[in-house]
Amino acid sequence: MRLLVIGAGPGGYVAAIRAAQLGAQVTVIEEREVGGTCLNLGCIPTKVMVASSEVLHIVRKAEEYGIIVNGEVVPDLKKIMERKDKVISTQVKGIRSLFKLRNIQLVEGKGELIDEKRVRVINKQGVEEIIDADAIIIATGSRPANIPAFPIDGKNILSSDDVWNLTEIPKSMIIIGAGVIGCEFACIFRELGTEITMVELLPRVLSTEDEEISEIMEKELKKKRIKLLTSVKVESAATSDSGVTLRLSDGKELVAQKVLVSIGRSFNSEGLGLERLGIEKGQKGEVKVNERMETNIKGIFAIGDVTGGILLAHVASKEGLVAAKNVCGGDEKIDYSVVPSAIFTSPEIASVGLREFQAKERGIPVVTGTFQYRALGRAHAMGEITGLFKIVADAKTDKILGVHIIGAHASDIIHEGVLAIKAGLKVKELADMIHAHPTLAEGLMEAAEDVHNMAIHKAG
Amino acid sequence: MKILEDIKYHKEHTWVKVSGKKAIIGITDYAQEQLGDIVYIDLPEVDSEVEANTEIAEIESTKATSSVISPVTGVVIEVNEELAESPEIINEDPYGRGWIAKIEIEDPSELDDLMDASEYARFIEEEGK
Repeated sequence: MRLLVIGAGPGGYVAAIRAAQLGAQVTVIEEREVGGTCLNLGCIPTKVMVASSEVLHIVRKAEEYGIIVNGEVVPDLKKIMERKDKVISTQVKGIRSLFKLRNIQLVEGKGELIDEKRVRVINKQGVEEIIDADAIIIATGSRPANIPAFPIDGKNILSSDDVWNLTEIPKSMIIIGAGVIGCEFACIFRELGTEITMVELLPRVLSTEDEEISEIMEKELKKKRIKLLTSVKVESAATSDSGVTLRLSDGKELVAQKVLVSIGRSFNSEGLGLERLGIEKGQKGEVKVNERMETNIKGIFAIGDVTGGILLAHVASKEGLVAAKNVCGGDEKIDYSVVPSAIFTSPEIASVGLREFQAKERGIPVVTGTFQYRALGRAHAMGEITGLFKIVADAKTDKILGVHIIGAHASDIIHEGVLAIKAGLKVKELADMIHAHPTLAEGLMEAAEDVHNMAIHKAG
Repeated sequence: MKILEDIKYHKEHTWVKVSGKKAIIGITDYAQEQLGDIVYIDLPEVDSEVEANTEIAEIESTKATSSVISPVTGVVIEVNEELAESPEIINEDPYGRGWIAKIEIEDPSELDDLMDASEYARFIEEEGK
């Protein structure tokens, strides 16, 4: 089996390694750098920024912890970016060495399908090469969406990709779109000292999260003095020497030095020769696939963001594993029933499974239990008392359907909920499990107890 | 625990002091004691309308988050901005510098539903049992 993977992001590189493990001879084509958006422009560099802003936050309130810091505490964007580059390059090297270990050939260039078995690659030097394959996996990902009302110029009106070219911390910034990317950057830049205004078309931030979680996040943004405007549309943007002026649907105007556009993503399905082969695409340009991650053309698979499903790195990786197995003679189907998500705002948010509003929409009778971080000894010791655990459970069967956490280390704690839902556990079983003291995870146990109004450390 | 004579009390442990059409509201000394160290208050917007017996602000203490229930109906004409930076003032001086909002009241007859100092003293004694 000769497999060709186009795109070496968290979907493509994982698919390549798995297929090689299963005995395939694998070639990967990558136009930019292995690791894709996730490693080079998304998940990882933002977490480097989050880490720096957290250090800044802690140092600023060091006195609360009995630590005296003498002298000025100042963020240095240049050094933060250098650290980011170092983190990325370590990870890039890691993926490249895994490729070597598995005899995966990496071709740096742009790939285009000629037919079902051949791909033309034009490398960085402009040299053309034709590669034969028995199967192809398209894993070309997505890019920040750009719309004409506020055209991204990379200088004043930025996409999330352009943030990495900033050399100075902006004095003021308007963030269009209060989704995951918008909220993460709002928290990062606010800590670094930027005046932030967020503009969101929908009535609440993080509209796919549980409503209670969004509410707490909105309050946290307010505490940080981040201005949030919801149910407002940006009509137009005008750039001048002093910055950018936005005209809003309610007639108001906003001015800031920079604008960050985070309104969603477009799919990288152009220029791949898909039309030539008659590969089906959806309305937004996403490549259509079945449960086996195969397109309508046998032997051609697609995974990750380009398929337009759940735009998360770990979902792309899972789809890559499924596709790799199927390429190598397996018959596996993708299962999206239990997908955790993590948002690295301050505080963090993580969730898995059903939101309470989704249960209502679907007519599923549910009961919920909640527990606040501020009732945990560990949270007080850490000085991180903001947060909430919430469990959504089936009112009839007591089965855990959803777990939602906002608070410190939510992205790690969530996996107990992921395991519980995956294993089909009942609330009682989670509540009965001994949790180590003093930990934040105790809050999940208490939230489980609270479903039956039996939380120990909760009044009323 | 302090209970002042010249103000009215709501069963959700808020107080109101009225002069003419203007009312100042806050939480009681009992409430701040129950809450513990207050770390944040989500203040209402000036010009927003509030209804008696509904939330006008939200307080976060190290122990709990809880609603501040307005004892009166009306329009918020001023909020205590000092609390945004220093919410602990509510703990220190709940009836004075720890006031929360000033409201232009709509219906003075609502005040008749509230408790006076001795009634409130009995009320919290009952609640404590």
